[in-house]
Amino acid sequence: MRRAESTPLNMVTAVLVTCAVAATSLTLTYEVTRERILAQERAAEERALRAVIPAGEEFEIVPDVLDEAREAAGDTPVGAVYRVTGVDGTFIGWGVRAAPRGYAGPIQLVVGLDRAGIVSGVSIITMNETPGLGTKIVTEEGWIEQFVGWDGSDIAASARDFDAIAGATKSAVGVREGVVAAGRVYEDVLMSEMGEVDVP
Amino acid sequence: MREWIAVFKRGIAIDNPLTVLMIGLCATLAVSTKVEGALFMGLAVIFVLGMSSVIVSSIRHLVPEKVRIPVFIVIIASFVTIVDLTMKAFVPDVYDFLGVWIPLIVVNCMILGRAEAFSYHNPVRLAVADGLGMGSGFAIVIVVLAFIRELFGSGEIVFLGANLLSLPDGYPAPGILVLFPGAFIVFGFIVALTAWYNRRTTGRTVETSAHCTIEEGGR
Repeated sequence: MRRAESTPLNMVTAVLVTCAVAATSLTLTYEVTRERILAQERAAEERALRAVIPAGEEFEIVPDVLDEAREAAGDTPVGAVYRVTGVDGTFIGWGVRAAPRGYAGPIQLVVGLDRAGIVSGVSIITMNETPGLGTKIVTEEGWIEQFVGWDGSDIAASARDFDAIAGATKSAVGVREGVVAAGRVYEDVLMSEMGEVDVP
Repeated sequence: MREWIAVFKRGIAIDNPLTVLMIGLCATLAVSTKVEGALFMGLAVIFVLGMSSVIVSSIRHLVPEKVRIPVFIVIIASFVTIVDLTMKAFVPDVYDFLGVWIPLIVVNCMILGRAEAFSYHNPVRLAVADGLGMGSGFAIVIVVLAFIRELFGSGEIVFLGANLLSLPDGYPAPGILVLFPGAFIVFGFIVALTAWYNRRTTGRTVETSAHCTIEEGGR
């Protein structure tokens, strides 16, 4: 069988048909996987939120404050702000999702703050740090707990007292920047917001 | 059948895309820090290479010479996107680790190179052998590379959350192995080993090609 000649008609037909078939198969794959992908993302986020505020029951995204929060956080991207309520529906704190820059791309993390703005935990969702070095921000025992107790209403003061990890300085500083960003969000936005949102 | 096996085996040893043809190296060196990531990268490449070989070869008479590259790219990109979405849905941790390297399979010259050099000129039967052989050759090398780097570089091998293998606690893990220079050092040894093996089995020195050169016509 001879190969089709490179006439304009043949060329256009070949490219168009290929693209149409490709588009159809991609649409089908997307439809099949969409639900699962969304569920995976929600599950990962919820796991992280539960880890930073164990008493939390309901994590509700507060879309209104996002713009102000982003401004407050400066260079660190903020993904979402959650209002956390306990089992009986009382307000117990905030979750801030941030993506500070580590050594290899952004470190996706969630910072939990209690109602007084004290950091209750930090949990890393995803990162691409160097295995064995940068990954110590997760594997080094007790390291990430140092952020617990930092005061969101005066985060700059807390951030002065910070232990990095030898060999993983950039990754460690990245996590600190995430916590600082969450603190700033609390300081500038959430602290004053609290009255309004907290009214039962 | 003998011909089929011969083509398949070429991809693994004598024409190994990584250690002999030296194509598709960037992704290999970048993701071979974890066995888990490397294995899924290998599987992804086997799938994309196998499927694109089948399609390119079966429509090779219908695709005019002048538009073959755009057509190849669309086909390859479709399979890569399918892999991308599937991994995101079913193995999110691995997907996060591989990150941008999954979409980058599209521009991996190994895949386009095989479509251009082999599948476009050969029957489906042989194109499958070539795709699977080259894919397996890639997967084997990247997994071996990752195994050495992860085990000796970080002292343990973690696979899908389970600790598979770990060295004694006092082992001073040389961090350089998981950094970029380590990739080149270990890869160099694997290249040497393959060259030695190929010389022993064929009785002649197999030339290592320059980056991104592909032989015309195949077989």
